[in-house]
Amino acid sequence: MSIGMSTRPAGNSARAGRTPRKQGLLRRALQSKRTVVGLVLTLAVLTVAFLGPYLAPHSATEFVAAPFSPAGIGGPFGTDNLGRDVLSRFLAGGQTLMILAIIATALGVGLGALVGVLAAYRRGWLDELLMRAGDVALAFPQIVLALLFLSIIGPELWLLVLMVGFGHLPRVARVVRGAALSVVERDFVKAAESVGIPRWRIMIGEIVPNISSTLAVEFGLRLTYSIGLVAGLSFLGLGMQPPAADWGLMINENRIALTISPWSVALPVIAIALLTVGTNLVTDGLAKASIGSDKGVTV
Amino acid sequence: MRRLLFRRTLFGLFTLWVVSLVVFLATQALPGDAAQAILGREATPERLAALREQLNLGGSLPEQYFGWLGQLLSFNLGTSLAGGTPVVSAVGPMLLNSSILMLCAAVIAIPLAIGIGTWTALRKDSAVDHVTGIITLVLASLPEFVVGVLLVLLLATGVFHLFPAVFVLVPGEQVWSNPAQLVLPVLTLVLAVSPYIIRIMRATMLEVLESQYVQQARLKGLPERTVVLRHALPNAIGPVAQVIALQLAWLIGGVVIVEFLFRFPGVGFQLIDAVTNRDLPVVQALVIVIAIFYVAVNLLADVVTLAANPKVRTAS
Amino acid sequence: MTAHRRHKSSHLITALALGSLMALSACSSGASAVQAGADSVSDPKPGGNLRVGIVGGSAKDSLDAHAPVTHPDQARVIQLYDTLASYDNEHKIQMALADSITPSADATTWTVHLRDGLKFSDGRPLTAEDVIFTFRRITDPASPQSGASALSTLNRDALKATDSQTVVFSFNAPNSTFPDTAAQYSLGIVPADYDPKKPIGAGPFMMETFTAGQQSVFVKNPHYWQAGQPLVDKVTIIDFPDDTARVNALLGGQVDAIDQLPLGQVNVVKANPAMKVLESATGSWLPFTMRVDQEPFNDPKVRQAFRLIVDRQQMVDQVLGGHGTVGNDMYSPLDPCYPSDTPQRTQDIEKAKQLLAEAGKSSLTVDLVTSPVAAGLVEAAQVFAQQAKAAGVTVNVKKVDPGEFYGDQYLQWTFAQDFWFTRDYLSQASNSGFAKSPYNETHWADQEWTELVTRAQATTDSETRCGLIKKAQQIEFERGGNIIWGFPNSVDAYSAAVQGLTPDKSGIPLTSFGFRNAWLNK
Repeated sequence: MSIGMSTRPAGNSARAGRTPRKQGLLRRALQSKRTVVGLVLTLAVLTVAFLGPYLAPHSATEFVAAPFSPAGIGGPFGTDNLGRDVLSRFLAGGQTLMILAIIATALGVGLGALVGVLAAYRRGWLDELLMRAGDVALAFPQIVLALLFLSIIGPELWLLVLMVGFGHLPRVARVVRGAALSVVERDFVKAAESVGIPRWRIMIGEIVPNISSTLAVEFGLRLTYSIGLVAGLSFLGLGMQPPAADWGLMINENRIALTISPWSVALPVIAIALLTVGTNLVTDGLAKASIGSDKGVTV
Repeated sequence: MRRLLFRRTLFGLFTLWVVSLVVFLATQALPGDAAQAILGREATPERLAALREQLNLGGSLPEQYFGWLGQLLSFNLGTSLAGGTPVVSAVGPMLLNSSILMLCAAVIAIPLAIGIGTWTALRKDSAVDHVTGIITLVLASLPEFVVGVLLVLLLATGVFHLFPAVFVLVPGEQVWSNPAQLVLPVLTLVLAVSPYIIRIMRATMLEVLESQYVQQARLKGLPERTVVLRHALPNAIGPVAQVIALQLAWLIGGVVIVEFLFRFPGVGFQLIDAVTNRDLPVVQALVIVIAIFYVAVNLLADVVTLAANPKVRTAS
Repeated sequence: MTAHRRHKSSHLITALALGSLMALSACSSGASAVQAGADSVSDPKPGGNLRVGIVGGSAKDSLDAHAPVTHPDQARVIQLYDTLASYDNEHKIQMALADSITPSADATTWTVHLRDGLKFSDGRPLTAEDVIFTFRRITDPASPQSGASALSTLNRDALKATDSQTVVFSFNAPNSTFPDTAAQYSLGIVPADYDPKKPIGAGPFMMETFTAGQQSVFVKNPHYWQAGQPLVDKVTIIDFPDDTARVNALLGGQVDAIDQLPLGQVNVVKANPAMKVLESATGSWLPFTMRVDQEPFNDPKVRQAFRLIVDRQQMVDQVLGGHGTVGNDMYSPLDPCYPSDTPQRTQDIEKAKQLLAEAGKSSLTVDLVTSPVAAGLVEAAQVFAQQAKAAGVTVNVKKVDPGEFYGDQYLQWTFAQDFWFTRDYLSQASNSGFAKSPYNETHWADQEWTELVTRAQATTDSETRCGLIKKAQQIEFERGGNIIWGFPNSVDAYSAAVQGLTPDKSGIPLTSFGFRNAWLNK
């Protein structure tokens, strides 16, 4: 029931379940300028996030000037609510967000793929049960559920990852099941079954490789969401906790002084924006490449 | 078709029941004691004991659950632990405010998105089409709070100073009393939901324009305007309606963070406040309200899809 | 300010300290005060509706005279109810509803005499019976109100009216600070048939409407005892839990004044000629509280080491943006008996390391529980964590939401924070210093200290009492459980049209919510 909502049009078509060879996917996607731009943006932000902590002129928790000093005092972008260097905190604040988003996505897509393939392969009551359970899970906004549990148990990072990851699970499972349905009917699966290869090996060895492009597109799509969700929950104060440097938290801590020290909010917001745009452009390119359409290549 | 709808409705109710169970169990596990949280530093053992009794925090879990479920079904959502006022009267105005916010966003976003989607479909592969494609892709990528903060930087505090950056509801006034304050939250939501609708509308419209009956209408020599407005558009709206409904369902989730960002006095803002105050009845009521809305809109989406799909319609 | 110095000439050092403290605040508020004088009209204009935005407030709001919790509660209670005595802007006790409060020689009996012709807002006379009802209501053992702890030794059954204007208070132990207690805003006098739902009092205003968590409207009390007050016809108090919203409401003209201007907005408001900043040095404090009965703080060496870790000036600069004064691990700096000659404790990392090593606690790791329950707490915790690194101490800042902070664990946290407004020493001590005090965050139960303060409470001679208080302060300075790094200024803001708001040392915002003196020049 919620297919259209959670999946972008590009993702929709990927669900058609065609299975081009994996190695060609990224190369074909890169024929589109958009994908190249997306990849550059993504890599640029990732570089800042992962190398930033080593380039920062100050420690992220060191006090360099009066709180909320304007750009130029204490650092090129001013200081934050406690007089710490905005640039240093920006450089130090992306890493955790990336790591959390990637783990959550891997968890959600991994488990979602497992459930989806299982449902498609076993069919019958198990399929029905899994998909109905998924429907129930989908009948609830992911952020509200995350908000509920994070406020109950507390802003623990493992819980944040679990909530974001499990939020993706039913959505991914649904898409993967669709893609896997056409694969399980194919001859090589029947052949493998007839020579007595265990089912789990068929699932992992035969079915999963044949839906790899769907998985790649799903991963990109879910990664974009994960980044937004993790940063958003941090922004609500339910992610990283002070005094940690974190982009979402920076926005929350400093937005009170938007007029006098705008960079402390603008830098993390722009970085998150560029990153999500980048990952989404790549995902879009992958999706278009995976259906072999040349629509995306012309631009 | 009727049977299908019946099954969908039953399923929706089942979903709500599961949600109620999850919500109840989850809120019961909140750390801290509601009475303590309410009295805060004014708590003395005597005052605590008195308040606990007054709030009926005792009883076994199943007892509390079934009692609560019974009250829920009779629309008696209980009394706010914090305020002592009925939850219905606490949640009601917030629900109204959120509905207004979402309605404003929907009323602007839907026609706009359908228009842009149709227009770009008609100008497929033109510069306008490509630019729109890129813009919608970019907007669709951005988390809603990022859109919101960027709008604030651009229109409220940084570059231009056109609209207030936060919503200030002076009690006694309504949310629409000062429309300038509504601009940024509504715009954020519009920018968050429109891209999907635009993209679906464009794709659907393209398909419809290629279809036989549109070709025939053209062959009949009808003016292109008539072809698009009378023949193509009505046929494209059906499939798009489902996406629109789903976007509306999404809105109520997205509205939480947008309300927090702009301090808009709605259900999302209240949810965060209630969680901070350990106001269990309000948290429970709000989550249930959000779930009901979500399920209802999803059901609506199903109805629309079924109605738009001739195969299913005639099968019954 | 000069008047204040002359007044306090017998406490020259205190006065000098206060003077410099005031000078500090004058840098920021002085300019606006002068300006206010320049464009103020000589005659106050009566009338109008003063709209005030106040931090906090939620569905928990109440109008109960004796149970104010949040800032908006305080603001409302101060408008509705007057007390027997009250504090002036210099934090000195003045008579209010009472025209005299006199002790017996041993301070076990106090005689309160009410002014002539006092009336409640509904026009009924305010009599001794109402005062007795009020104090019995506050100290009701079945439901003690927030003022009850300071009245723990009151013999409530022996409260006696000798005539319609005179009440005799008997205490089970000497109580030299009764006037101080009687001046607390949570001890407002209410009529004998008091019902919080129909909040009748003798304050400058009376309730018109009240919506919890939103706003309340008060109208002028025609029977108010102070001639010519209040000046405005109406006061509207609006809850603003959010800092940004509150400031925006002021800038947008939706309110005329706000309390607690956030640091990030001070310069924004100052840059606006239509706005004024009201800054007052106060005796409010935001201590780190170390439980003296728990590892590792049961060792006084660890407590001293932690106090030496703090760079107080950096705390004031980073947490308060300079809007405050450094503290010396002793509270009640405005108390006439405050030992201001005690040398200022400053950061000494080497000494701290040495003390920790002596205590066998080198490379210590502690959790510091913090919560955004007052401005600056979470920030102070972060700055402390940073400063502690230098001494090899790892401080994990554990931020919890207010519900959890004041939840089951409140007063049980090993290392946490709290906040207090200006109070004189003995009043503060009875709130947080004794083993039986309701808010003894540090679980302080020092035998010597308890004896000294108990004696001070029973001493009516102010010289002798001051001597005892100074000794007690010295004990806290040497081995207490609080790290008192500074006293934040109260920083409020108001529209230039508002007149009559003056700096005030209470720590209670907006001239102790003194709206009866305010008027609108528009």
